[in-house]
Amino acid sequence: MKAPAQAARAEPRAYRWTMPANWWTRNRHYFLYTVREFTALPMALWLLWLLYDIKSAGAGAANFQPPRSAAFIAFSAVCFLFATYHSYTFLKLAGVIMHVKVLDKTVPPRAIIITMFGLWALATVVIGAVLIGFAR
Amino acid sequence: MAEKTITIKATRFDPDKDSAPRLQSYDIPFTDEAMVVLDALNYIKAHVDGSLSYRWSCRMGICGSCGMMVNGTPKLSCSAFLRDYWPKPVTVQPLNNFPIIRDLVIDMEDFMHKLKSVQPWIIRKQELPLGAGEHRQTTAQIDEFKQFSQCINCMLCYSACPVYGLNNEFLGPAAIALARRYNLDSRDQGLTKRLPVIADSEGVWECSFVGECSVVCPKGVDPAKAIQQTKLDTTLRFTLPFGNRD
Repeated sequence: MKAPAQAARAEPRAYRWTMPANWWTRNRHYFLYTVREFTALPMALWLLWLLYDIKSAGAGAANFQPPRSAAFIAFSAVCFLFATYHSYTFLKLAGVIMHVKVLDKTVPPRAIIITMFGLWALATVVIGAVLIGFAR
Repeated sequence: MAEKTITIKATRFDPDKDSAPRLQSYDIPFTDEAMVVLDALNYIKAHVDGSLSYRWSCRMGICGSCGMMVNGTPKLSCSAFLRDYWPKPVTVQPLNNFPIIRDLVIDMEDFMHKLKSVQPWIIRKQELPLGAGEHRQTTAQIDEFKQFSQCINCMLCYSACPVYGLNNEFLGPAAIALARRYNLDSRDQGLTKRLPVIADSEGVWECSFVGECSVVCPKGVDPAKAIQQTKLDTTLRFTLPFGNRD
């Protein structure tokens, strides 16, 4: 049997750290990270609404009644800003995430970021053209 | 002329007496612009209060022993200059996210266990005899992993990581960075042994890319990069027919 002093040494009573609820306000990076993650939530709600609209449109033009209220337009504008911010922060990190090699040489992160933003712009133009084309 | 002084507020915690850590203030002479936080702690221990406990060793940012929260930011106390804080007080606390054993000393058992779990050493399927010569590498092959080999296991990245703070089952930044260091090493053949740990739900997939681990690293290692690249690599490995490699 261990002596009390030895037993105490074997199992030191440590103070357990707990994360404070306001951790994300304590540092600028934490705050920006939380904003980045939060932007996904309103975007998800907006997309759910879009899915509902698409389903309504599938049942015939008579059933399609897209929301036209000022509140919904304001919500959509906020979602657009959030989507832009989320995409910008994601694409800006692409150079960190992707480790691409071409002809046995590592592609510089800057080139990856420029390519990703270029593809983003291209996708925006193509989707915009398709939507405008269908609207006509 | 009055001697220039600086106030150091250090965490005190005696597990036999205290129920929670508290801050204690010490006014010490600030005699040299080259003084760092560790010098201040050493002064307190030598001249004011010998019971103050903290870890340190090399005093030159190499051993990784003296990591502490300096005014709320994880830093090596041997590299945090007092002149950057004076005349305001400097608050020195143990690294966040770890149990506190005494004063500024944290329990690093969890980190040591996680570090060992990724087997951060070169694994060979079959060792060649010494007579077969060296495992030669090109400069480009060394450049692949060199950055990640600079890690000194100081645990500042764990202290800065809110994901680890909220869920200490997370493997964590340094362990994953070191796993990647060996996975990228042309001499290593241990990827499949490390994958079950790093590609686990508590491995790279627990990370939500806060990125603060890379900000606080005193050696310029980019653990966030290692984690995100490992996510991409493991995804390609499991989804592409040519993704598998040992």
